Amino acid sequence: MAFKIASSPHVTHNLHTSTVMQRVILCLLPGIVLQCAFFGWGTLIQVLLAIIVALSCEAMIMRLRQRNIKASLSDNSAMLTAILIGVAIPPLAPWWMIVMGAAFAIIIVKHLYGGLGHNLFNPAMAAYVLLLVSFPLQMTTWIAPSSVALNSPSVIDSLQIIFNIGAHIDINQFRLGIDGTTMATPLDTLKTDLSMGLTSTESMTKTIFDGSTGVGWFWVNLAYLAGGLVLLKLKAIRWHISTGVLLGLFVASSIGFLLSPDTQASPVLHLFSGATMLAAFFIATDPVTAATSPRGRIIFGALIGVLVYIIRTKGGYPDAFAFAVLLANLCAPFIDYYVRPRAYGHSAG
Amino acid sequence: MLTLLDQLDKGTLWRSPGGIHPPEVKSLSNTTPIGQLPLASTFLVPVPQVGENCTLIVKVGDKVLKGAALTQGTSIWHLPVHAPTSGTIVAIEPRVSNHASALPVNTCVIKADGNDTWCELAKSELENLSNPQMIDKIRSAGIAGMGGAAFPSHIKLNPVSEIDVVIINGVECEPYISADDRLMREYSHDILAGIGIIHRLLTPKRIIIAIEDNKPEAINAMQTAVMQSGLPAGCIRVTVIPTKYPSGGEKQLIQIITGREVPSGAIPAKLGIVVHNVGTAFAIYQAVAQGKPLIERVVTVTGKNVGKAGNYWIPIGTPVEHVLATTEFTPEPEQKVIIGGPMMGHALANIQVPILKGTNCILVPSSQEIGTTPEEKACIRCGECAIACPALLLPQQLFWHAKAGEYDKAASFNLKDCIECGCCSYVCPSDIPLVEYYRIAKSALKHSADEKQQAERAKQRFDARLMRLEEEKIARETKAKEAAERRQATMTGTDKNAVAEAMARIAAKKAAAAQPSNAAPSIDTVETTTSTATPKNQAVAAAIARAKAKKAAQANTDDTDLSHAVNVEANHAPTATSVVTTQEAPLTQKEKVAAAVARAKAKKAAQQLDNTPLETSETSEAASAAQPTADTDKKAKVAAAVARAKAKKAAQQAQANTGDDLSQTVTPDLQSTSGAQINASTDVEAATDIDDAETIKKAKVAAAVARAKAKKAALMATAPDLESAVKSEPAVKSESVEHVQTKVNTPPIENTLESGVAKAETLSSSAAPTTNPIETAPLSSEELKKARIAATIAKAKAKKAALAHEATTSSDSSVGND
Repeated sequence: MAFKIASSPHVTHNLHTSTVMQRVILCLLPGIVLQCAFFGWGTLIQVLLAIIVALSCEAMIMRLRQRNIKASLSDNSAMLTAILIGVAIPPLAPWWMIVMGAAFAIIIVKHLYGGLGHNLFNPAMAAYVLLLVSFPLQMTTWIAPSSVALNSPSVIDSLQIIFNIGAHIDINQFRLGIDGTTMATPLDTLKTDLSMGLTSTESMTKTIFDGSTGVGWFWVNLAYLAGGLVLLKLKAIRWHISTGVLLGLFVASSIGFLLSPDTQASPVLHLFSGATMLAAFFIATDPVTAATSPRGRIIFGALIGVLVYIIRTKGGYPDAFAFAVLLANLCAPFIDYYVRPRAYGHSAG
Repeated sequence: MLTLLDQLDKGTLWRSPGGIHPPEVKSLSNTTPIGQLPLASTFLVPVPQVGENCTLIVKVGDKVLKGAALTQGTSIWHLPVHAPTSGTIVAIEPRVSNHASALPVNTCVIKADGNDTWCELAKSELENLSNPQMIDKIRSAGIAGMGGAAFPSHIKLNPVSEIDVVIINGVECEPYISADDRLMREYSHDILAGIGIIHRLLTPKRIIIAIEDNKPEAINAMQTAVMQSGLPAGCIRVTVIPTKYPSGGEKQLIQIITGREVPSGAIPAKLGIVVHNVGTAFAIYQAVAQGKPLIERVVTVTGKNVGKAGNYWIPIGTPVEHVLATTEFTPEPEQKVIIGGPMMGHALANIQVPILKGTNCILVPSSQEIGTTPEEKACIRCGECAIACPALLLPQQLFWHAKAGEYDKAASFNLKDCIECGCCSYVCPSDIPLVEYYRIAKSALKHSADEKQQAERAKQRFDARLMRLEEEKIARETKAKEAAERRQATMTGTDKNAVAEAMARIAAKKAAAAQPSNAAPSIDTVETTTSTATPKNQAVAAAIARAKAKKAAQANTDDTDLSHAVNVEANHAPTATSVVTTQEAPLTQKEKVAAAVARAKAKKAAQQLDNTPLETSETSEAASAAQPTADTDKKAKVAAAVARAKAKKAAQQAQANTGDDLSQTVTPDLQSTSGAQINASTDVEAATDIDDAETIKKAKVAAAVARAKAKKAALMATAPDLESAVKSEPAVKSESVEHVQTKVNTPPIENTLESGVAKAETLSSSAAPTTNPIETAPLSSEELKKARIAATIAKAKAKKAALAHEATTSSDSSVGND
């Protein structure tokens, strides 16, 4: 009888791409749950909407490219992209924004560059940047965290606002804090205050801050950190990029804070505000668009961290992860070219 | 700061990068002692080295005893193979190899007689052997590395550099395999004895036996054996290393044990380290102490689809099919039969292949065990492969470039340092068969490197040829110049001088003719048949005439002078002959024709050689030498013209046609020719009986033969392989012609020129004057003889030309010296 032949090795590990993606998605859940807890059902609605759009676009594109639709959808990569966009945009942003973002991410950023594994930019972040530069108002309209908000949106409220149906509800009512002032994100508040001549310490006394960190955001970040640590434990991601990001941000913000404590946010605020943990563990670690060698990945991560700090403090936007990640994506091939591990038996250099 | 030796003594381990922890599944086979399987009926012993550096010393039908060597070689790389059992060689033919490629290799097929009779074994006491003797015993036992690579062990035991550390590899990191594990458990003392031999041969400072911590029994056994061995204390130790694939790889093991890396492209001996497998150590002991060649080894037969999984002593050459048949193998659809472990082993399509020296495992897994080959998906650049890579490469970059066919870029990512351990493929979440891509890229690189090398060689050859041609051209020009100068110098003498010289020579010749016995040695270029059986004086006379003619030709540069000289000489040559024969020898037209033909041949030969000015001029000399002679006789002239035309025609004919041409010429009177050729010397009477026409024919034929020879000689000047050119002809020739031919089949001729010229002159000189006195004289035996002599001389000349295997330069000088 003829026997089956195959190239060695004949055994493989059971960790497949779909499993990796699945684990990443599962590890995102604690963060999503807390985000919903603080900012209402909007986040969940956005995530679900994004998933539907992303998977539809993926299926459509795979059909156009005459590829296996099922295999592509089941690798969970489109879903992960959709979830990341969903959690990144403001919970009550209008529906067409997330639709546009998800479609852009999948069709243009991912598939026009060759699909999974070939895209140059992180699809979720590219979509986020597209929306941010196109619709800056909507993209910075975050509602107040529930613990300090005057009103919190119900599911119905969220749906009505997002889809702009039924009785017109003013999104701004949900932005009011318990003190009656309109609230922005902690980073945004700080940025505005600093530009208005307040010191960071003065700014930190506002309702949105809880001592040293932003209300709600701290917990959301902690949840993403926890999820990220599980990912590390599961070896779905490796430590290099996340460490690089956090270290880069921490070192840069520490230096800035030590030099000028009054005009700078503290490193702790930097680490636990905005999208820091989400980006450090779930976004920057997208392997497709990151550098590939271990050393290159540390550099890649650190680059993101430093860029985030620079954009946050000097740039026009309160948060900066999307820009930082895209800029680092651009550098990844360059880093890969110059940062190569010393192969066994080769002298250093 | 601890030295390396201190670290080794402490058992310090270094980290080897990368690596994986696949399921070991060793308990499937390592729980039972090493067993024996029934002897196979047929054994396949591949002899791939035969032809390169060794020869087969058996042939089909030979009976061989167990342990008898089948090959013999002198190269240091030669490793003999031995008969694994007693039996008969039933075939030596290409058979499918036990290799991933399954390419056929030459294989001795031995039909076992079932007795398994050993040949005589040379047992020896270790103390009585010198180191070279030991190495020779190891070599002649055919011991190759048993870890899988099958590198000849005697080379590793005879290194050029000093060896400080010997690592005995008992790691066996591949899943499933337990052959070394069982060997260490059961034969630890023999292994230690083998290690003792290695110690004696290499005298290292330390010997480290490295074993993975998943083999506690083997570790115990080896530690006990070390304690009981007679090796110097502190020199040898067992070092337990953590289980990780591929720690057993030579480079990885060296890194783990010594913390040093084998430089890329170098061998461990460069670091003063040598690694031997435990199985090799065992085989070395068997070979040196017992005299047993390497004809069997422990093989792990394992996998869920084999009923009697375990380790077995299996004679090398046993077909895999037999092993599986005797271990209750139950194949399933899409069954894989893997030689080696699941990480690096190759799958067999055909199990009619033999167990080799490096075959340590046959794995027949069920589909649950190893799963089906999943579909390759897109690389997501996750970098897991880079983390797993023990060689610190960037597998995904390699893959990227290999897939795109950018092999040079892949090479720039150190593709050649890939050890194909399979870790990258194992961890790849996208199920990409990375190692396969690397293999393809590597072979493509090797292929292009080979091509480049070949192109480079061709270029060198071409350049060398151009240079040589240029040098030859210059040399020829120089020669031509010198010859011209020489001629100029000779010209200063008057014609009288030449005539006087000729006269003097004639006198000398006469004297020589009177004393045939004295002259005999000078004509040894004439065939022995002629010189012995033909009346000697005739031959002598002919030879002398020839020599004179030649000399005359050389002495004279001016055409007229030359011809004059030749004429003068020629007029005397037959006289000399007649002195001997006591009768005028009237030559017929035919004989003249023969002479002319020979002359033409000579001319042609000259033309076919390098057309140096000198040679051309000499050719013209020859031609013009013939010309005035011919003037004396119209017929001869005509004959010469005919002959020239013939020669020209012959020259135009391709080499392949030579035979035909010749046979056409010869055929009309083949029988009589053979009579003349073969019996000319011994059967003079018979020759005399032959009538006029026949004589003519014979002469013609002889001339034709001579012409053919000359032509051939000329051809040889361009075709270096005389033998093959000539040997292709006999098929169309009769025996007699063959006879003649073989006489001409002398080494390749560089230049037939001067002899050809001389021949032409001699023949013309002998022909021309004799025709003058008696045109229609009745034929006599002498006449016939002369014709034959002429032919023989032509033949001899051709032969001589063939023998004159000299460059144009030396030929020219010999012309001058003649």
